[in-house]
Amino acid sequence: MKAKEVIGEDAEIALADARYDAIGKILETALVRGERKWEASDLLDKVFLNKYVGIPAFLALLWAVFQFTFEASAPFMALIEMLFAGLSNAAAQIPNDVIASLLADGIIGGLGFILTFTAPIFFMFLALSLLEDSGYLARAAFVFDRIMNKLGLHGRSFIPLLLGFGCNVPAIMATRSIEGTKDRMITILTIPFMSCAARLPVYILIAAAFFASNAATAVWSMYVIGIVVAILFALLLRRTILKGEPAPFIVELPTYKMPTLSGTLLHTWERGAAFVRKAGTYLLAGAVLLWLLSVLPWGVAAGSADSLIGQIGQAIQPVFAPLGFSWQIVSSLIFAFLAKEIVVESLGVIYGVGGEADIQAALLASISPVSAFALMVFTLLYVPCLATVGVIKKETGSWRWTLFAIVSEVLVAYLAALAIVMVGGIFI
Amino acid sequence: MRLSDLKPNQIATVKAIEEAGQAKRRIMEMGLVRGSRIRVICRAPLGDPIEVEVRDYKLSLRRRDAENIIITEGV
Repeated sequence: MKAKEVIGEDAEIALADARYDAIGKILETALVRGERKWEASDLLDKVFLNKYVGIPAFLALLWAVFQFTFEASAPFMALIEMLFAGLSNAAAQIPNDVIASLLADGIIGGLGFILTFTAPIFFMFLALSLLEDSGYLARAAFVFDRIMNKLGLHGRSFIPLLLGFGCNVPAIMATRSIEGTKDRMITILTIPFMSCAARLPVYILIAAAFFASNAATAVWSMYVIGIVVAILFALLLRRTILKGEPAPFIVELPTYKMPTLSGTLLHTWERGAAFVRKAGTYLLAGAVLLWLLSVLPWGVAAGSADSLIGQIGQAIQPVFAPLGFSWQIVSSLIFAFLAKEIVVESLGVIYGVGGEADIQAALLASISPVSAFALMVFTLLYVPCLATVGVIKKETGSWRWTLFAIVSEVLVAYLAALAIVMVGGIFI
Repeated sequence: MRLSDLKPNQIATVKAIEEAGQAKRRIMEMGLVRGSRIRVICRAPLGDPIEVEVRDYKLSLRRRDAENIIITEGV
């Protein structure tokens, strides 16, 4: 006999009813109701959830978070850079060429590059921990749930996606607050299309060289293209391999609280330390591997046509011929797997020129403006940096999903760049 | 009457929950069961979801789920 036939309704309902009945009876005897202490919290909700003020208030807070992150971290970034430049110089004095180069260019150079990002990551986590502990983040999810839901996502996907504009690494870590497994997976796979701060120097270099007075528009269009591709990709995933409805938005909106110093610092530390640990493992290995590729066979000029990376670039260049990319560009895109801003630095190394103006001249001589725009789009969309891949692996706990992220994003980047070259070819 | 018909600051009592599966379990876990008193606080700036007060705390749920909660006005 089934429970339903005995009690005349679902066991779940009967259980919940009975449970809350029991709770109610206990409360009647045990709880003395004090004054309602909702007032301040209610007042804040009147502002943050107001029909007209809610969204502008959110935008203002967001602006403050980014402003704080970049302003507060700038001196620390400079400090870390100086420290590693010093270490690198010291290591270059080692009499053994191979060891000197491995230490200076490979380990210290690569690690220093990545570690400079610990400063903005820590400060962004600090700002977010404050917002989270105060109870505001739950409200932001509440305010934007409708838009996210239309895109097949959940209100809680909103903040991580937004963080992606700063750095994809903390953004993907922030998806932990999303309960639905599929909602979370779609969010993780979509975040890399959000144009992180590291891609900006690449856009600026290329846009300034090719689009002169329209440079700002070209850079802005990268952010727009990133968002459009992210939306399309999320919708595609929701209709194919991650089918289903977004999880219901049945969540508590906690009262606003004053964040505590120890709580905030603990949150910040937990998340920031995870990034540093990763920098010490995955990233270090990646940096050494890329260094090996650029200096082997031993004796060639680093990153030249004869080096392994130069040879790989030349070998796969035909794939990129339809996009109009030279092998130098292909090689530097491989380098940029470590961190996207490396495109700039490695173009210099591979073209054998120094300084931004010379890199721009070399680019102008080797690709068309349409290909240059395609290169910007490719840089925007293709495999996120090694740090992001590492964190995708950690958060999904699966090599298959990590591999899927890499392959699908390279494919999306290639197709988008190809579309630009083809459409551009018609008009120009 | 359904929870989605309730206007801000109106108070009602839950009569039945017509949801199924995941959403239903979640709604009841959060203490929205038959007989619960519920008050609508506000709608999100874009019209959905809504914020309600139940058992002395605040809960948010989408219109779609609110439509499946049958209520009677008043306590």
